[in-house]
Amino acid sequence: MHIKDHPVLGKQLQEPVTIYFNDQPYQAYQQQTVAAALIANDIKKFGVSRKNIQDRGLFCSRGRCCSCYMTVNGEDHVRTCMTRVEEGMEIYPNLEDPEVRRDGNGD
Amino acid sequence: MDKSTIICRCEEISYEEIEEVIGNGARTFDDIKRLTRCGMGPCQAKICTSLVAKVIHAETGKPFHEIPLPRMRMPLSPIKLETLATSSTSFSTVKSVLDEVELEDGKVR
Amino acid sequence: METDVLIIGAGPAGLAAALETASRGLAVILIDESSSLGGQLPQQTQLIRPLPAEYGPVRGFELAEKLINQLEDYPINYLLKHRVVGLYADGSVGITDEENVFPIKAKKMIVATGAAERAVAFPKWTMPGIMTIGAAQTLINRDFALPGNEAVIIGSSDFAMDVALQLKSVGVNVKGIVEEQPEVTARDNVKIERVQQSGVPIYLNAAIIEAKGNGEVSEVVIEHAGRVLTEKVDLVCVDGGRSPILDLFYQLGCSFGYQEKLGGWIPQYNSNFQTDRENAFLAGNAAGVTSQGAILLTGMIAGISVCENLQAISQDEAQQIRGSLLKELEILEDKDVWESRIHHIESYANPKLKDQFIS
Repeated sequence: MHIKDHPVLGKQLQEPVTIYFNDQPYQAYQQQTVAAALIANDIKKFGVSRKNIQDRGLFCSRGRCCSCYMTVNGEDHVRTCMTRVEEGMEIYPNLEDPEVRRDGNGD
Repeated sequence: MDKSTIICRCEEISYEEIEEVIGNGARTFDDIKRLTRCGMGPCQAKICTSLVAKVIHAETGKPFHEIPLPRMRMPLSPIKLETLATSSTSFSTVKSVLDEVELEDGKVR
Repeated sequence: METDVLIIGAGPAGLAAALETASRGLAVILIDESSSLGGQLPQQTQLIRPLPAEYGPVRGFELAEKLINQLEDYPINYLLKHRVVGLYADGSVGITDEENVFPIKAKKMIVATGAAERAVAFPKWTMPGIMTIGAAQTLINRDFALPGNEAVIIGSSDFAMDVALQLKSVGVNVKGIVEEQPEVTARDNVKIERVQQSGVPIYLNAAIIEAKGNGEVSEVVIEHAGRVLTEKVDLVCVDGGRSPILDLFYQLGCSFGYQEKLGGWIPQYNSNFQTDRENAFLAGNAAGVTSQGAILLTGMIAGISVCENLQAISQDEAQQIRGSLLKELEILEDKDVWESRIHHIESYANPKLKDQFIS
């Protein structure tokens, strides 16, 4: 849920934006981080751990723990707690190691 | 602490695994790191340093002021190789809150 | 890029240091990885006191506004969304804006990178829905996103008390505060009373046995007074205390001392808030975790010391101002925290941890 009217800070939500998670549209607001916007939409699972395939989500919200890693607009391992939402953003969970793209030299 | 508890959440190293290497002589964070991969994940020990210190303290009795810091390396946080590899000699235009950084001949004035 | 002073971290300490240096004519670059100034202060909705003489008791976000507005008249170079990635061989600081990495050569730097929260580990603490109290506060007071509906807080510091009240105020059902110790670690009795009056149970001598859930947390199991309690929750906020962020100091080759009351390992510094790397000064929680008022004072002291070092003020004037700031710091800071700080400063010639690049 988005906090539309904060008890101390009042109505602070800026422009609404639409973001896409797993190709589904969700409502977010301009100043929110990707992580916050997803959590406001009840999406807490951002990915899985590499070894034991355990669910991961937001932990420190300071850009330190890297637990909030997701793929955003095609870029893997984005710290979603440090990234603000943008209109039309495409977000996918961090489910496995990214494929190392090999451009050039016919590799 | 329950021995199955994860200590390093990036590499998923449990209390038990750390206890084992301490039993084999590991004494510092770096010893434990080299034997278990604890601290080698994306956060580079930012989260597990204090937890590992607690385990060392619990298993060896060493006071905290005798448990040294882990080795920390650059970059201080994850960075794209693309960013590091850019050999631009001019700085990108920096938009700051109260100032505009002015570029002259492609360099910051 | 070159400058007189590079201030790393635009939280309250960095902002206070920026005022002292910029107002005396020094060229200042103020850098922060966030997209706004103020550090954690803008998300503090609680009343903050005590503060230094010139600031009344105000709410965190109001204090942040004051600190930022004070700098209006000075030509400070603000580099937001910029972070330090390392150091170059010549001592320049490597900065990135995510597009490039470039050096900033500063005559002096003030490192005010703050403190980070420590984790609390228990079985399945890595599940989604389990986060630090700081993370929960950020979600509700900065991002305006509700982190959950039913919560339990592990830890009972003043910060945890603030977050408990703040979560309640946005409609989260805070079902309990779980504290390992026989007493809460919070010191502000007014705060503790407010939490008690709000109906949040505080479980002392209690431990979290485990968290349960499938995909995200749905329950916590707590051991208290010989009984086992299970609470249905979708949010667990952990408070493991805070400790200074040391990464940059480590790269600089600083020595460290250990003071439990200041958050554990802290960079070694003297009463000028200068580390044992001549050009590196420090301020704020990076110099030891303390209260907001003290954070501001350390920023001012570091700023004055840099001014003195760069001869923007005379040594006599610096001693005088610094002397009175230190006196105010002693009054403002909790007694045991101040005493630890004095012990730490007195160990300058003989730090606990140095030459650690051996391991």
